[in-house]
Order: sequence, then structure tokens, then C-alpha cells
Amino acid sequence: MRRQVPLALCFIFGLVMMLAEFSPHPVSQGIRKEIIDWSLIIWPFALVLAVASLVHTHWIRIRRRAEYWQYSYLVFIGMIVMVVIGIPFGKRHPAFVWMFENVQVPMDATMFSLLAFIIASAAYRAFRARTFEASLLLAAALIVMIGNVPVGDFIWNKLIPFGDDLPSTARQWILDNPNLSSRRGIILGISLGVISQSIRIILGIERSYLGGGD
Amino acid sequence: MIFEKMRQQIVVYALVLVFGCSVGFSQQPAPPENVNAFDTPNDAGASITITWDKSPEDGTGAEAVTGYHVLRKSGDSEFEVITKSPLTAGETRYVDKGAKGGPAYTYSVQAITASESTVNSAETAPVKAVGNWFHFGKRWIFLALILFSVAVVYSIYHARRGKEIFIRRIPGLEAVDEAIGRSTEMGRPIMYILGLGSVSDVATIASMNILSQVARKTADYEMPLRVPCNDPIVLNVVREMVRTAYVNEGRPDAYQEDDIFFLTESQFAYAAGVDGMMIREKPAAIFMQGTFYAESLILAETGNSVGAIQIAGTDSDSQLPFFIAACDYTLIGEELYAASAYLSREPMLIGSLRGQDYGKLIIFGALIIGVILELIGVTWVTTFFQRV
Repeated sequence: MRRQVPLALCFIFGLVMMLAEFSPHPVSQGIRKEIIDWSLIIWPFALVLAVASLVHTHWIRIRRRAEYWQYSYLVFIGMIVMVVIGIPFGKRHPAFVWMFENVQVPMDATMFSLLAFIIASAAYRAFRARTFEASLLLAAALIVMIGNVPVGDFIWNKLIPFGDDLPSTARQWILDNPNLSSRRGIILGISLGVISQSIRIILGIERSYLGGGD
Repeated sequence: MIFEKMRQQIVVYALVLVFGCSVGFSQQPAPPENVNAFDTPNDAGASITITWDKSPEDGTGAEAVTGYHVLRKSGDSEFEVITKSPLTAGETRYVDKGAKGGPAYTYSVQAITASESTVNSAETAPVKAVGNWFHFGKRWIFLALILFSVAVVYSIYHARRGKEIFIRRIPGLEAVDEAIGRSTEMGRPIMYILGLGSVSDVATIASMNILSQVARKTADYEMPLRVPCNDPIVLNVVREMVRTAYVNEGRPDAYQEDDIFFLTESQFAYAAGVDGMMIREKPAAIFMQGTFYAESLILAETGNSVGAIQIAGTDSDSQLPFFIAACDYTLIGEELYAASAYLSREPMLIGSLRGQDYGKLIIFGALIIGVILELIGVTWVTTFFQRV
């Protein structure tokens, strides 16, 4: 019974949502919207449990004096300050906006900017020409990189007497043909995988998300 | 004599005036013809489509038509203009999205000239906006979905008979045992990252299915399984799921709820938090399965730098190259969705993979046939798929 109820609910709602995708009638769209609204109601309750989890995790870290436990105080301070200002005064209060724009946004931007360096180190590993495939990847990457910058065409046109703007043309060919076709192949596979997975879940054959077993 | 001359002049002026007026009236444009209003197909019943043939003087002639207004009335009420600004000359179609289901509406199309003279077309027959139960524009997609579903369901029930089904080796999934074994030998935790997807994303559900299989193995090996979450609902589902997996393996005592915890919803704060954990705890195995965005490489490179064996899989095709560059194994495309069946080896789940392969076979065949037909100059197949 403990398994049958969620499986039955999954079957009913899964089927209804799938059929609603093909039915523009106000009744079917109304049912669809209602189900989505119900799922949204779950979110605030889940958020309470998530915040409790966060507080618990950092409280344990402080109590056990785990490595860098002092930073857990920062989590509490940040959370309390945002809640104290955000709940009574709203998210448009200047103090709330100031903290968002001057604390969270720069920190997010810092993490994002790390990508530039991380891409360089990952590219170095990926492009080491140790195999035929890696050499092919290196050659394609070089062409795309040179074709991406205007100076690539400029140098080519100055030094080589034939093939005007060849780097950018070659770059576009690589992106439009081998790259795009392989991406579409992957997307087709993903789409079939999604449908197959959905059928397994709707029919109750895939039960791993319930913890597995019968 | 003078009066006679004045009388003649008045007659001449009057004639000129009458002639001028008659010329002015005769320069009114011809109205649009064949105006037709019908319920917009495949909609929720909140719009009516109006079509017409252009006025013969659309864009040409002395009094060229420069635009059109659409007029609407309901019952015995007067016509009112429903287009906020005139439709440009040459337009022959308008969708009235202000029509409500219930009353019948009558329409007329008004042609306008540069001198702002107007002429109305004949009225249409009354028409009602009605909601459609089936979107006929999606009929081919629906049919394809039904066919594919039948293939999958047939394969699943065929598999129930116990006939062995071959599935190709997926190195990334073969390495799951190796990764968990390595963690056990090194005495370091296993980290499982579900990505930034919500519980309504199929990739996240696929990831949770893999996590369930991984949790069964970590329960056997008694290895700590650390799962930082960024979605509150995913957190709660995962906790329940992993707990059940531990109970099913007969190791409820080994389950540590604190190891599955909420970090943050912010994308880069999440990446920073998980990176910090990787640096501090140095997990021996890291699984990254689900939906990832720009944080994918930040996570994968950090995992690589601490020497963890990394198995990644995502439905975000733009992030796949990053995982391939930085991880030891990557599940590409549908492999993510096949993982649960592959790991559990349940015949019915494996049967669904066979159905999936049938779908791929059909698409592959259609591609080959389409290319051949296009090369020999037969284009109706391509045109058909473009319409779909």
C-alpha cells in the first residue's frame, strides 16, 4: 500500500499531464495548471526543511569545531541579516538591494570569472595530442579559435595569397557541419531517453526514485 | 447684361463643384473582398481568425489603400474597431485574441487610404470561439509518441518472459563499482552531485535513480555518501530515497541523514560550497549526474585537482565537452537515462532500452532514406518533416 499509492498517483498525474500537452481546451489546460499549482505548494514546506538542514549542518560544524568552523558563523550572520531586513521591509528595500548588489553579485561574478582559468587548464589536458582523436580535437579547436578572432583572417589574408578569410569560413563550416550534426544526434538520443524514462516512471516500472525494491 | 454674365459664372462654378465632388466620391477605394471569419483551430477557444482578399487598390492607384482596420460586433451592437493601429497594406489575416467563448461575433474589414477615407467590407457570418480538445497541429508528434511508447512497452513485456537482452557495455557505468571500491580502499567519502535541476526535470529523476543504485552499494560497503543539494524538494526526496535504499539493503543503521544536506539555491554559491567540500574532504569518487550549467567545469576541474575518480552525465549538451575534458568517465546523451536499468539489471528496465533502440533505429532509417531521396531530387519527405 505504501508503494501502490505513490505509483498510482504517478500514473494518473503523469498521464494527465502528457495528454494535456496535446489538448488546448480550457478544461484540460485548467487541470494542468491546477496540478502545477499543487506542486508549487509543496515548495514552501520543502524550503522550511531545507533551511533546517542548513542550520543543522552549520550548527554541527561549529559544535564539533570542524575544519574552518568559523565560517559557519558567517552563514548564520548573513542569513539572519537578510531575513531581518527582507521579511519586514521587502526585497526592494535599499539595504536589501545594497547587500544583494554589493555582496552576492560580486561573489557570483568572482566564481564565474574563475571559469576563464579553469577552461584553460581543462583545454590543456583535453588538447594534448596523445591519440588520433585528441589530435583531431586540437586541430579543430585551433581552427575555431583562430577563426573566432578578426586578427586570424587578417593575418591569413596578409601572409597567404589564396583563400580569402579562410579561418573564419573553416570555423563556420566546423560549427555548422560536424559540430551541429553530432549535437543533434546527442539531442535525439536524449529525447528518446526522456520519453523512455517517462514511460517507465508512469507505468511504475522504474521505482528507483522510491528507493528501489518492490 | 452684367447679371447674365454673373449667372453664367455661377452656373460654371456650380458645375465645377458638382464635378469635383463626384470625382472625390468616386475615388473612395474598393473594399476588401471575400472576408471570412472562423474559429482559430487548435486553440483554447479564445480567438477568431479573420482572412480577406486585398482591396484591388491595395498599395496602387490614385487613392491607394494604406492599411486595414478590423471591426467586430456581437449581436445587435454597433461595429467597433478592434485593431489598435491599422494593419499594414498587403495584410490579409488577423487573429482576434479578444474574442471570448460564448457569444457569436460578426466581423468587417475596413480599408483606409492616405487621405483617411475608409470603406467597409461586407459583414461575415456570425462565428463563435470554441476550445479544441485535440491539437491537430501536433497529430504527427502524438502519433510518433504513441508508436514509440508501444515499442517500449512491447519490449518491456517481452523482457518479462526472461529472454536475455544484449545491452552494449557503457564504460561510465561499469566504473561505478570501481569508484566505490576505490573510495572504500582509500577510506574517503563518495560525493554525489545532482546538478541544478529541479525535481520536475527528467534528468534529475534519472540522476536520483542512479543515486539509488549507488546508495545500495555504499550501504553494502559502509561508505559515507555525501549529497549536497541545491533544491529543497530534491533534498527531501533524496533523503527518503537513500534511506529506503539503506533499509532495503538491511543497513538502516548506516544511513546518515546529515550527509544529505541543503547548500544553497544560488548557482555559483553552490559551486563554491561544493568546491570547498571537495578541497576539505578530498572524496575518492565524485558522481555528477543531472542538469548542469556554467558551474559544470568549475566542479569537474576541482574534483580532478583532488584526484577523485569522476563519473559525470548530463542532458545539457553544451556542458558535455567540459565533462569529457575533466572527468574520467562521461555518460553521453541517453546513457544517463539508461543508467538505472544498466546498474539494476532488472529485465523490465533493460527491455525498455531495447524499445529505445527501436526508436533510434527508426530515426536512423528515416535519416538515411531522407538523405537518399533528397539527393535524387525527391523533396516531399523533407517538406513533410519541415511541416511537422
